[in-house]
Amino acid sequence: MDILPHLASEEKKVQETLNEMLQQAAIDIQNCNTANDILNAKAKYLGKKSLLNSLYSRLRELQPEDRPAFGAQINEARQKIEAALSIREKDIKTAAWQNSATIQRDATLPGYANERGSLHPIKIIQREIERIFMSMGFEIAEGFDIEDEFHNFDALNTPADHPSRNLADTFYVEGGRLLRTQTSTVQIRVMEAYPPPIKIISPGRCYRNDKPDPSHSPVFHQVEALVVDKGISMSDLVDTLQIFATIMFGKDVKTRIRPHFFPFTEPSAEMDISCVVCAGQGCRMCKHSGWLEMGGAGMVDPNVFKMLGIDPELYSGFAFGLGIDRIALLRYGIPDMRILFENDIRMLRQFRGDSL
Amino acid sequence: MKIAVSWLKQYIDLPGTISELCDALTFSGIEVEGVKSLAALPDTVITAYVQEASPLPDSDHLKLCKIDIGTHKLADPSILDSSGMLQVVCGASNCASGMKVILALPGTDLGEIKIKSAKIRGTKSHGMLCSESELGISEDHSGIISLPEDTPVGISPNAILGLPDTILELEITPNRSDLLGYYGIATDLSASLNEPIKPIHIEDIGLPKSSLGLSVRIDDYQSCPRYTAQVFEGIKVEQSPLWLRLALGKSGIRSINNIVDITNYVLLATGQPLHAFDYDLLQKSDPADQAPFIIVRKARNEEIILALDGIQYNLDCNDLVIADGQRATAIAGVMGGEETGVSTQTKSIVLETAAFNPSAIRRTSYKHKVSSDSSYRFERHLSPWALDKAQSLARNLICELGSPEAISEVIDIHTTHQDRRILGIRPCRFKRLIGFELSDDEIRAYLGKLGLEFISFGDYQADVSDIAQIHCHHAEEARAGKTEFTEAPDCIHSHFYWIPFQRVDLEREVDLIEELARLAGYDKVPHKLPVPKIMDRHGYSIRTNLEDYMVSSGYYEVYNYSFEDPTRIKALGFREDDQIVNLINLINPQSANQSSMRSTLLPSLLGNLSYNLNHGERDLKLFEMAKVYLRTGQAIDERMILCGVSTGTASPEHWLHKTKALDYFHIKGLVEQILDLIGLTMLSKKPIDKPYLVSSTGYSYRSDNKEIASFGMMRPDMLESYEIDTITLKQDVWTFEFDVQAISELTKETSTGYTNISKYPSVVRDLSLLLRNEHSYETLRQAILEVDPLIIEQLRVFDEYRSDKLPDGYRSISLHLFLRDTQKTLTEERIERLVDSVLKNLETKLEVIMR
Repeated sequence: MDILPHLASEEKKVQETLNEMLQQAAIDIQNCNTANDILNAKAKYLGKKSLLNSLYSRLRELQPEDRPAFGAQINEARQKIEAALSIREKDIKTAAWQNSATIQRDATLPGYANERGSLHPIKIIQREIERIFMSMGFEIAEGFDIEDEFHNFDALNTPADHPSRNLADTFYVEGGRLLRTQTSTVQIRVMEAYPPPIKIISPGRCYRNDKPDPSHSPVFHQVEALVVDKGISMSDLVDTLQIFATIMFGKDVKTRIRPHFFPFTEPSAEMDISCVVCAGQGCRMCKHSGWLEMGGAGMVDPNVFKMLGIDPELYSGFAFGLGIDRIALLRYGIPDMRILFENDIRMLRQFRGDSL
Repeated sequence: MKIAVSWLKQYIDLPGTISELCDALTFSGIEVEGVKSLAALPDTVITAYVQEASPLPDSDHLKLCKIDIGTHKLADPSILDSSGMLQVVCGASNCASGMKVILALPGTDLGEIKIKSAKIRGTKSHGMLCSESELGISEDHSGIISLPEDTPVGISPNAILGLPDTILELEITPNRSDLLGYYGIATDLSASLNEPIKPIHIEDIGLPKSSLGLSVRIDDYQSCPRYTAQVFEGIKVEQSPLWLRLALGKSGIRSINNIVDITNYVLLATGQPLHAFDYDLLQKSDPADQAPFIIVRKARNEEIILALDGIQYNLDCNDLVIADGQRATAIAGVMGGEETGVSTQTKSIVLETAAFNPSAIRRTSYKHKVSSDSSYRFERHLSPWALDKAQSLARNLICELGSPEAISEVIDIHTTHQDRRILGIRPCRFKRLIGFELSDDEIRAYLGKLGLEFISFGDYQADVSDIAQIHCHHAEEARAGKTEFTEAPDCIHSHFYWIPFQRVDLEREVDLIEELARLAGYDKVPHKLPVPKIMDRHGYSIRTNLEDYMVSSGYYEVYNYSFEDPTRIKALGFREDDQIVNLINLINPQSANQSSMRSTLLPSLLGNLSYNLNHGERDLKLFEMAKVYLRTGQAIDERMILCGVSTGTASPEHWLHKTKALDYFHIKGLVEQILDLIGLTMLSKKPIDKPYLVSSTGYSYRSDNKEIASFGMMRPDMLESYEIDTITLKQDVWTFEFDVQAISELTKETSTGYTNISKYPSVVRDLSLLLRNEHSYETLRQAILEVDPLIIEQLRVFDEYRSDKLPDGYRSISLHLFLRDTQKTLTEERIERLVDSVLKNLETKLEVIMR
């Protein structure tokens, strides 16, 4: 069908034809629903056999001066179609990924995650203690669980007839050795092997012949701290304790030391922190004293230094021991020490968040 | 900044080697970024005289020269012509009869250029007349070097050229504007090397006073605190003498003419930029004026100036300019204007020596993207009161090299004159901040060498009030009531010094402390803290990493007593002589079932498994990281072991992802991934053989025949005593173990290192193969990898199946082959060839059939 018999003379008619074509194109493009529909529409309106294309090829029939005006009309129509196609194409694409991304299932069903386990609460606390002391420049030293009497008692200035050496208090193994009753043994091992300055902590297992009950266990965990250098004073001890307690229990916690006796420290002290349960007001946890016992401490006894060949006139040092399990009980509100060694998975599961 | 050592030596004796000089500079805070040696010229480079230079026929620029080489003995005297002259063709435009030049004789090797006798346009030429660039002295190749008229002929020019020499490239920190000239660097070196500084010699000049007038005005003292100008009348602008051209050339500055060269020379020597205007081109603001004007003012908006770099700059009212009566003649502190620049026509000049506000210069330089040696220095803050030496030096040089008939007084316009700053320093404060002590004498000596003038000793507090009327930082602080001093009442003994103007960076006591520490040497700072020596950090991180890995794999850590029931250990079925059953027993156990130190963690863990199964838990993954206690002869070995037990599903039950029971491949994957990540890929593998494990349900991973890790399935009968009935439960119990101590020892020396990532793509080829049942995947893998382990990056099995439909005795294995070359993209042809040889290898070795 030749719709354009006389291009030049029927300019108006051409314009009408173009408008009709544009209207039809708009409808067709709007009806496109797939990428393929778009291709077909493109071929129909812009392709070789399209009206626009035939108009182009007939421009030649016009007088040169008339061509620009006609050309412009055709171009405008072409641009309109191209724009409509590209908008529709984008809509189809958007609808496609929108559709594929829509959750087809019940979106309230539970998600999937890899299973995670947990560290044991004692390990969580031990790691935290290690981190705190390492940030203060302490190194971690290792010791032995099975010790000799020298390192567990003699070198720690414990008299030969001291009751703590009894079978009722200390486990002995065949061959005259014993299970260390405290991590203080590592103090001796480290000072034997390294000259001062020394700044270590030593976490580890200790053993005492106690029957298991809510606050006792024959196997328990301690962390020992030892600092030896020129000019170390009790002031370093109280500072270190306060820094540790502040990071471990929060900035409101108070610390104190009070006189006590240990064979290997002189002066000796017990360390307390203000009760973290009642903030020092007095409660069952702190036996209404407002304070919780943290462990023993003191300035290294000159006898201990002498036995290890360190000049007590030149060097001084402090040491203290903290109960890791005790801190774990306190921190997590676990009422009985035996729970820690039962390894009930329902207990362990509660600490997954702290093992992340 | 480029500096020539020969020039530096004019101001200070440098007895050491160049490398010692570089060390002295670096350790006093002046980083040496590059060292370039200018070698002495060979014997075949000599001074010579151009007897005659005539145009070479057939050439528009070449000249035919007759060269007199004096008494120099040639290796080949036959190249001399009959009159004893050497014929050389030269293309330099400045080549002329009567010149003293430098001649490179045939046979000379100048690195890039090798000189030979040659024919040029049919004319013999025996050598080359040299420019500075050809001799490697500078970039200047505009003409051949012209030597002073009194230079002897036929000798080595090394002494005249200052060769050998060394050019240092220095990085000056932005606070040290005083180091932006040779003399500043020499001063600093004099303090760090303890060598006296040689002062710059300045004489009074007895020249007639010029009658040429000049008016100078500063409109903005904020931007220009001081401006000096001096008029030199009746000067000769000509080429600079050789020494001046060489001095500039070695420092990377091109020679222009004697006046411009002098301003650049003084800039390099003192760090103070100067500028010269052509006096006769400066305009009056009104024809009725007596004299031309110099006005330091802000530019007018859209004021235009054509600068010496040939670029036209459109200025605005934020830019500072030097103007004459009519127009801007220079962008202040940055660049002079083309219209008033000094040229060979210039008869009289105005020499500008001024100081500009650093931020004003920085702003203009940044805005117009123009930087110069001058702006670089002004931006770093030059004191207005330190420019006089540069002014005098320039004046002397102009009088010497420009032969003025008369000179004017120095016109000096400035803001209120400032006195030098006074600073105090307390030796005890130095000790406290730096950590070592300097005596009073040492402090005085170091600071004296830097040009700080000692005033007196005194008490910190007392003296600041005595001299409170002068500009003393401490005095101001004291008056402001700052309590800095009361903290250290014992630390009041002080030195007080006048600070030289050029040291704009010295403002506080702590600045002096830095100077002293730097000069005494940072290497003298004592170490105080102990070096860590005790902790086994590697062992610690192996242990915690393994724990974390287990947790992230879904395992729960348990803590058990170190005690064990000896009957439970014996029930595992070890031989009587096995270390594991040679138990360490307690003398006073609390009960019989806690009477031994455990030699294995397994019974405790099985106990935990049993406990939890009894409490209705079906899916359990447990591990313990603890010591076992072994007897090794008389000694006791406490070893850290990681042991795990697991049963039930591999992953938690989920509605979407069907879960599977834990099986051999789960545990194998876990164990081998740990070994792989930790770097233990070279362990030997043996099928597991333990009395309590089902045989061949796992592996033992060994190094030097010692077990490092193992895994396997628990024998159901071994579990009966733990009341674990795997048959009824319909689930297997798996266990694995790592010798953490052994692992940490084996991996002590290994460290993770980065491998460059290949930028070439990898190619994947899939192989579907039929493998004989008796051949393992491992042998197949080896047989594939050995073909080209560099290109075959990875193998990944994606299918394995057996079927009656397959040939008898065969099973099917499908795998992805990942190929990559780190050097280039793999071509299709190369891949084809590689896959062919893989298949061929498999066929011959393993009777593999390609599907």
